[in-house]
Amino acid sequence: MKRFAFVGLGMVAGFVMALGLLPSAHGANDVSAYRQLDLFSDAFERVRANYVRPVEDSELINAAIEGMVSNLDPHSSYMDAKAFADMQIQTKGSFGGIGIQVTMENGLVKIISPIDNTPAAKAGLKAGDYIAAINGSSVQGLNLDAAIDKMRGPEGSKITLTILRTTEKAAARKPFDVTLTRAVVAVDEVTWHRNGDIGYIRMPGFNENTASGFENAVRDLKRQIGPGLKGYVLDLRNNPGGLLDQAVQVSDDMLTSGEVVSTRGRHAEDTQRYDAHGGDITEGKPVVVLINGGTASASEIVAGALQDHHRATVLGMTSFGKGSVQTIIPLGEGGGALRLTTARYYTPSGHSIQAQGILPDIAVAQGDEDDIPRIARPSEADLPGHLANADAAVRRTSPAIVRPPASGQKPADFQLSYAMDFLHGKVSLPTTKSAQAN
Amino acid sequence: MKAAGAIRAVSLIATGVAAGVGLATAATHFAYGSSAPDFRTTTELSRFGLAFERVRDNYLSAPEDRQLIENAIGGMLSNLDAHSSYFDPKTFAAMQTKAAGAYGGIGVVIGLKEGAIDIVSVVPATPAARAGIKMGDELIAINGAPMHGHALDDVSARMRGKVGTDVELTVGRTNVKPFAVSLTRAAIEVERLTWHREGDVGYIRIVAFSDRTEPDLRKAVADLKRQIGPGLRGYVVDLRNNGGGVLQASIDVADDFLDSGEIVSVRGRDAQSMERYDAHTGDIADGKPIVVLINGGTASASEIVAGALQDHHRATILGSLSFGKGSVQTVMPLDNGAGGALHMTTARYYTPSGRSIQATGIVPDMPVADGVDAPQYQREAELPHHLLAEGPATKSAGAPIVPMAGHAYLDFQLTMALSYLHKSLAAGGSVPEHA
Repeated sequence: MKRFAFVGLGMVAGFVMALGLLPSAHGANDVSAYRQLDLFSDAFERVRANYVRPVEDSELINAAIEGMVSNLDPHSSYMDAKAFADMQIQTKGSFGGIGIQVTMENGLVKIISPIDNTPAAKAGLKAGDYIAAINGSSVQGLNLDAAIDKMRGPEGSKITLTILRTTEKAAARKPFDVTLTRAVVAVDEVTWHRNGDIGYIRMPGFNENTASGFENAVRDLKRQIGPGLKGYVLDLRNNPGGLLDQAVQVSDDMLTSGEVVSTRGRHAEDTQRYDAHGGDITEGKPVVVLINGGTASASEIVAGALQDHHRATVLGMTSFGKGSVQTIIPLGEGGGALRLTTARYYTPSGHSIQAQGILPDIAVAQGDEDDIPRIARPSEADLPGHLANADAAVRRTSPAIVRPPASGQKPADFQLSYAMDFLHGKVSLPTTKSAQAN
Repeated sequence: MKAAGAIRAVSLIATGVAAGVGLATAATHFAYGSSAPDFRTTTELSRFGLAFERVRDNYLSAPEDRQLIENAIGGMLSNLDAHSSYFDPKTFAAMQTKAAGAYGGIGVVIGLKEGAIDIVSVVPATPAARAGIKMGDELIAINGAPMHGHALDDVSARMRGKVGTDVELTVGRTNVKPFAVSLTRAAIEVERLTWHREGDVGYIRIVAFSDRTEPDLRKAVADLKRQIGPGLRGYVVDLRNNGGGVLQASIDVADDFLDSGEIVSVRGRDAQSMERYDAHTGDIADGKPIVVLINGGTASASEIVAGALQDHHRATILGSLSFGKGSVQTVMPLDNGAGGALHMTTARYYTPSGRSIQATGIVPDMPVADGVDAPQYQREAELPHHLLAEGPATKSAGAPIVPMAGHAYLDFQLTMALSYLHKSLAAGGSVPEHA
């Protein structure tokens, strides 16, 4: 049988890459499996014969597969033939949509972050907003892929979202409608600018062009700033991840050797190690990586690799903690595909970031987090059915959080301003890590 | 692809909005289907087999085969409509205990509100009442399993179980952090029918339909006749927030007020599987005027009563549009119960005039708004995957009568019902002044 396998790291449908073949299937050939399949066939036959109206067999089977897979963990799901076809198109890097990165929570679609310069960002949608309905029809009962599918559409077409903003005071929690015009969303373009003698690079995601975009950015910033270039800020805040190979390449660009990341699956032979080679295009200049609770997956690989190799200072708030790899497994011609969690990844020092995240070297709050960051910005550990971290016992403690000054003299982007101060030697790395009270 | 002969077994007409704890199941019919799988079916089944195999072999940690299959069956069922669900073996076993008598619950009535499971009411002197569960609380999880998006029937089933066993609820309350509370299940009495005189009108409130409802109704009517005497002007039958219950009980109640004719018919997938229930001679209310009160919480068996009395012009229906649950669910054990059971929609019911109330509900003859603070629970037509309405569109209710500004009413709908019976309120007429 013809079989492909892809690895996707993003929570956003569409970030996929080829990894290689899975270990060959052992086959559902034991007695237990057959007995269970018999039970399923029995249920299937009863529904076909007795449900109040006839239902397509394929619809029943799609719902069954979705039920089987989506209960495993928050990132495993089933894509029917159409969703799978869409996903393959999205790997090309742009699509007609509104520009949000989403996850599923409490049966509602939750916005992880709006993508810069998209209809969603322009309409003022915020990270943490829930989408309760799309064009007036409730998202309850929809899986994430189906919801994403409904939000995509041709450029210029209109879509109305019903938004529930729970970050507001309880009294103001009334759903409201927002109408957006879909546009071509070029996902995750790397942007950069000089900030005095510092090169600032923003990486909103990881797609096929990310590493080359990063290399362009470094080249251009060197040219703009010249020999006085003091260092770089790599902004990975609200970057939900994407292609693994791009994350490896970006890390590699700043490392000369050593492990970047390893992925480990259920079987020993699934372990893959990715190493850095070649030179450091930033020539050893100081690098600050900005992270926050929206920094997930492939971004956490970059932050973790640069942190473990002491190549960069990681600044901001604890990252999301998505340390699992999803493989796309097609189910034959027209049969859709499984998006199945098959491995975890580990930083060079052997830490799994699953449900734990990357802890910043310098913890700096932006000030827009709620007082209880875990509720304001749920991380993997808050998702129902999340994979537990086997390393949880050795959970490290993060340094005391630096908070922005009271409003008035507060800079527009306190974390960035703190990063600049750090690169200019105005503030230093905390010497002792103080344990935080929970 | 034809359904084979029906075997008599258990079925339940599940309650709609208010899937009440302890609302009983009725014995009706139960079809075992057997159909020869055709080629495409075989292909679809093998696609499922392939998916199952891939998950078993490649998932990050070795999954339990049984868990995968249960989740698959659950996914297949809950995708059908808002009331179909799968009872896993443990849940099903707990439901079976009920038949053996040692069946318990915690004493709450639940409803759906913006997707969340809400406590609609707490039955006094039950474990829930003692634990301080309040009306308006959100039921976030049962035994750690999040309930958001689950069918009400499924949520109810999880709260039920053997008397003396424990169940842990995670409860959300405005301005309070979600908290967990452990309750010990107890035998829950379905709330009995209550009645009292309102001047010369007999008021009867039916909270839910159980085996005792119809005998209680006879007792109530007899008592009201004795209390009020020959001046008895009529009756108010209050079905507001009555989420349903035993189908046969609702048929018996409608029959008590009707002399003849159809009460309800239940139609399955095949035209020949129709079952019709007729009224027998005798109207215990002696033809006196009846007003039936309904609202958005009036569902299922209650809608059968309201629909039958409306179609036969035996009662005036007053209040707001009912919930609209016109489907019948059948419980089908798998592997004799060892494999849990399917709880699946197998039929719709129709009022005597042939209306399906599925997703449309009963439209009141006299629309009267709820009290000011009445909570608005979701109606059937707002549930995800609800079974679509069929047949001609129902007439829509006119603008409802609303309480006059500056006037406070304890129960505006009841006040209007009494005015109507006293002829001071004509159908569609103006609102009388009430101090």
